[in-house]
Amino acid sequence: MRARLDKRYLDAWFLAGMTVVAVVAFRFVEPSWLNRNTLQSIVTQNGPLAIVAMAMTFSIISRHIDLSPGAMLALAGVVIGLVYRDTGSLALGLLAGLGLCVATGLVNGVLVSGLGLNAIMVTLATYIWARGLALGFTNGNPIVVDTRLTAITNHTFGGFTIVAPIVVAVFVIGWLVLSKTLFGRYTHAMGGDPVGARRAGIRVGLYTTLIFVVMGVATWLASTIVVGQLASAQPYAAPSLELDAIIAVIIGGSRLAGGEGSVGRTLLGVAFISILNSGLLNLGLTDAYYQVYKGAALLAVLSAQLLLRRLAAEEVRRRQDAEQLLAEARVYA
Amino acid sequence: MAVDVSGATAASHEAPLERARRAAEAFGTVAVAGLLLLSFGLTSSVFLEPANLRNILVQITVVGVAAIGETLVLLVGGLDLSVGANVLLGSVVAGDLVQRHGAPLWVGIAGGVLASTGIGLLNGVLTAVIGIEAILATLGTFLLAGGIAKIVLHSSWIVVDDPFFGNLVRTHVFWQLPVMVIVLFALYAVAAAVMRMTPFGRAVYAIGGNPRAARIAGLPAVRIRIVAFALAGAFAGVAGLLQIGQLGIVSSGNAAGLEFQAITAALIGGLSVSAGGVGRVERTLLGALIVGMIANYQTIRGIPPNYQQALLGGILLLAILTDRLFRGRS
Repeated sequence: MRARLDKRYLDAWFLAGMTVVAVVAFRFVEPSWLNRNTLQSIVTQNGPLAIVAMAMTFSIISRHIDLSPGAMLALAGVVIGLVYRDTGSLALGLLAGLGLCVATGLVNGVLVSGLGLNAIMVTLATYIWARGLALGFTNGNPIVVDTRLTAITNHTFGGFTIVAPIVVAVFVIGWLVLSKTLFGRYTHAMGGDPVGARRAGIRVGLYTTLIFVVMGVATWLASTIVVGQLASAQPYAAPSLELDAIIAVIIGGSRLAGGEGSVGRTLLGVAFISILNSGLLNLGLTDAYYQVYKGAALLAVLSAQLLLRRLAAEEVRRRQDAEQLLAEARVYA
Repeated sequence: MAVDVSGATAASHEAPLERARRAAEAFGTVAVAGLLLLSFGLTSSVFLEPANLRNILVQITVVGVAAIGETLVLLVGGLDLSVGANVLLGSVVAGDLVQRHGAPLWVGIAGGVLASTGIGLLNGVLTAVIGIEAILATLGTFLLAGGIAKIVLHSSWIVVDDPFFGNLVRTHVFWQLPVMVIVLFALYAVAAAVMRMTPFGRAVYAIGGNPRAARIAGLPAVRIRIVAFALAGAFAGVAGLLQIGQLGIVSSGNAAGLEFQAITAALIGGLSVSAGGVGRVERTLLGALIVGMIANYQTIRGIPPNYQQALLGGILLLAILTDRLFRGRS
């Protein structure tokens, strides 16, 4: 039993190993990268990614990939900035941003669960229109949002900003919800077997919509952090946040086909992507080499993991066959 | 929809409705295109002028050609996010060879198309052989292709002055249509014929529609998938060459976001991201035309490009909704 469990986590162990390899490699190439503040800056820079990836775990487990967060993060920031600029009230701006994110999540959720539309297509539309609006409202220029929010977001204790406890809280809540509540169990059930879940009496429509709304809230939280960190709303912010989040969840070992996944795996995936991003950026590469290395690293890790998973599945099957033979032999003996 | 258990009586009831639905499906896109043409023509004095109509055709050529490949990939049950970066790669390699290295024209053309086909081939191997989900594999190659293109560009740009590329736009064949538009129509005609008449075309539909059944029937699913992705790469390469003709200059911003325009055109034409094996190549051209007409009309009306993008998202949503209404719940 123990051995089989180990095999099942083979791909996760591999990713953990690759993460260590990445740290050692970046340390070797650029010794100054690894210092007392490396962890702190990685957490600060990748907090928004971690938060969105947590919500994306729910989306992917339930089989509904959400492509909206990157563009929505930018649009929510722009709305926060515009409302703040016009009314002078940050609270009103934050509220407007939250309203927008929840409403968009609600609409996307209803389109997917109520009308049975494909989530990729619906959120691809959001990906396009939200970025268009963010750019249109601002003519592509940032809006200055110099408020207390910036002081709060950038205040450090021991090198960590407030982003660190927020990320920890989000992951603890995500873990509790996914593994200890009915909603979490339903999320797994809906992704594993949507028809079966419906027949079992789970209100699939309600919970699917809820997952899109959760993504809306996570996007808003991430957007608030970004606006605070930069003291401005950037219409070009988070250009491929949703893709990084999806990769983090999948590379951690959740299945794109749904039904499988865990918070721990997402955390591992986020750690790998964050270190990859941080290390590559620190090398001072041009955009071009950064893209090539990142693309190659992702494809290599994804390929290796698939092969490992296939090996693990074969191993499990072989063990089961052996156990069955053994059991039959005992019956005859 | 739920399985029909009441049998023959219900079926005969359904027949006219079913026929109407199929007719709507077949002519829905044509009707939408016609309606748009009519309403835009009535509300704008310049829209229907021959020069403007030719302009629309020239504007949709690059996306249109890339969308043929996207359609093939969607039909076989995949998704290709690397198209835009791959178009850039094709144009960069061709421009670099011809302009910076003084290579003969045919070497540049072959090099550009081959580079893009190579990325397509890689997509095929990653998805069909190794088994990475198409959306992730093509995301990886999107980064790769875009990065390689920018490395070759040397954070600069290439002005291509070989007359061959300029003539793609400047030389008119008939009705004052430039060569590149003729290429667009010819490629669609060939693709449509291949998908209808050859074993390859039938295999693509079979594998996209029901992969298990296709495998049991003995179709070489892996090989067909690889070929579909490789062809998508080749079409992206050709689109890259056409883009050199259209712009006369190769720079890293070219073809950014083109994959989403190609996907939108295919979806408006009636393809599906969730299910392969449904739809027709030639309808993607109609989808590209619809997107092109709307963009052109918005420009005539003076709507800023950013809001045009926002509206494109809305149009995509509308297309998905209409598709659901005509086709019912799967």
